[in-house]
Amino acid sequence: MIPLKYNVRNLRVRWKTTLMTMLGTGLVVWSSCILFGLVEGLEYSLRVSGEPLDLIVMRKGSSNETTGGFASSKAEEILNLPGIARDEAGQPLAALELLNIPIAQRKDGTTTNVIIRGVQPASRNLRPDFKIVEGRFLDQGKEECIVSRNLSRSFKGAQLGAELKFGEKEKYRVVGVFTAGGSSAESEIWADLRDLEKNTGRVGTVSCVQLRAATAADFEKLQATLNDDPQFKLAAIPETVYFESQSRSSLFLKAAGTMIAVLLTLGAMFAAANTMFAAVSARTREIGTLRALGFSRRDVLISFLGESLLLCMMGGAIGLLGTIPLSSLTYETSDFNSFAAVTVAFRFGPLVMGVALAMTLAMGVFGGMFPALRAVRLDVILALREL
Amino acid sequence: MTHNSASIELKGVDKEYRRDEFTIPVLVNLDLAVAEGEFLALMGPSGSGKTTLLNLIAGLDRATRGEVNVHGQDLGRLSDALITRWRADNVGFIFQTYNLIPVLTAFENVELPLLLTHLSKRARRENVATALRIVGLAGREHHYPRQLSGGQEQRVAIARAIVTDPYLLVADEPTGDLDRATAGEILELLEQLNREFQKTIVMVTHDPLAAQRASRILHLDKGQLVGDVTQEGRISAAS
Repeated sequence: MIPLKYNVRNLRVRWKTTLMTMLGTGLVVWSSCILFGLVEGLEYSLRVSGEPLDLIVMRKGSSNETTGGFASSKAEEILNLPGIARDEAGQPLAALELLNIPIAQRKDGTTTNVIIRGVQPASRNLRPDFKIVEGRFLDQGKEECIVSRNLSRSFKGAQLGAELKFGEKEKYRVVGVFTAGGSSAESEIWADLRDLEKNTGRVGTVSCVQLRAATAADFEKLQATLNDDPQFKLAAIPETVYFESQSRSSLFLKAAGTMIAVLLTLGAMFAAANTMFAAVSARTREIGTLRALGFSRRDVLISFLGESLLLCMMGGAIGLLGTIPLSSLTYETSDFNSFAAVTVAFRFGPLVMGVALAMTLAMGVFGGMFPALRAVRLDVILALREL
Repeated sequence: MTHNSASIELKGVDKEYRRDEFTIPVLVNLDLAVAEGEFLALMGPSGSGKTTLLNLIAGLDRATRGEVNVHGQDLGRLSDALITRWRADNVGFIFQTYNLIPVLTAFENVELPLLLTHLSKRARRENVATALRIVGLAGREHHYPRQLSGGQEQRVAIARAIVTDPYLLVADEPTGDLDRATAGEILELLEQLNREFQKTIVMVTHDPLAAQRASRILHLDKGQLVGDVTQEGRISAAS
């Protein structure tokens, strides 16, 4: 085997072209990581939103919480069903919830839809890692609200102590700021269910009931009862299934991201190939010498492919390191069902690492393959004559 | 001079190159026998076929017709992979322009052929140190080629050629880029390798003074042997 230091030192000797190629590949990896970091963030927020023992109960035929409602009298009956888990105070872990999607103004003056969720006290225990990070939880019937930290940062009137106004009738005083373990709740404003009913003129209606079964067996029974019992005739959907079906927007982003990443990778491959072709041309006599000394074609192929891979891996590492400052940033996009603002935190996890690794390997292998094959095919005698 | 049994033997060797529709004969029906331990100088005008003959003996090129036997091996029968392996085991190369790898130190350049063997790191280090001591470059192990004079570079190249203790050394104009005094030192070193270490050496040269160091001088012209002079009084390992 030709020693690796031969390649490392050659990269160091022609440091300018090495640096330019590394920066080029790094930029490609970086920009693709941002796209996939967004996809991973979105998928993560939907994944952690679904608890295995939780059910979302909606009107039959509704595809999501925002497209239908049912009578709150029926919803109240659900709370009394056996098999629902209880909190420390013995109250059922189930909550009636109502959604409203008004237009809100961002700090920069632009507007978008936001989700206001009318909740009950149990709602907070049905979200993963729900935490009040500023202020307190809302009191019922006092026209108070709590705002997710993401929305609090970017919307007018969403800061602690301020007043959020939607149209003429709807206004809430912000008494708390919360986080919810990166789940979809982090794109919402929560108000008291009764206040929201009253302010939106939808008294006696709920969008859904969220509940947690005590055991897996109870989960099955509750689902069967709610789906089939003529008393209810509702759709009880496991939360994990529900949020999986909500990930269409992430599929679109993933497809677009993949296409962009493939195109960028192709471009970077040409850059890597160009650098490696120049390397092979400049070292023709060295290749001839190595072959004369007894190094095989395979040795030469591995050496030049390895050099190309090393070059692209260093670029990939730069690209990945460049994502570190972005990991605390959030990005606002739209939910494809409700058109409400969804705030997603960039997440540079296994998907992003996988994409970066795949791109780096593709750039290194395919960018280096043709120059390496050229090196392999060199006639030893002609190569030795090269000046 | 009494030659030992021929260890390099060429029988009826033709070598032709094709340039577009033309066939250019370089060596024509060449017969040659070189004894083990002989120091052979190949001379002749440019285009006479000296380097081509050297390349055939070293296993870098193949004859169009005829047989090339070196150290009992018919080179024409070896595949590309096997002849590469054969070169690594049997031939040490010395080039006019030294052909050292510029990014490797003297030590690392000399170590290169040993990376194709199964020697341990320690054994490799000892062999490299020995080779550098033989060529008079002990203490220059960590110098890069650019930090050495032309003569020193050629000494490193010679150390690289002998480090695996090959049967045959081939040298293509080894003093072509050196001044007279340095060339003399390199030729003395080659003589020493032939005399003390019984290396068979085939050297291409234009320089009659360099050729005088060999035990036998072959003259080629237009691809044919036109002179074969065994130098009386020259002591070689083949004597």
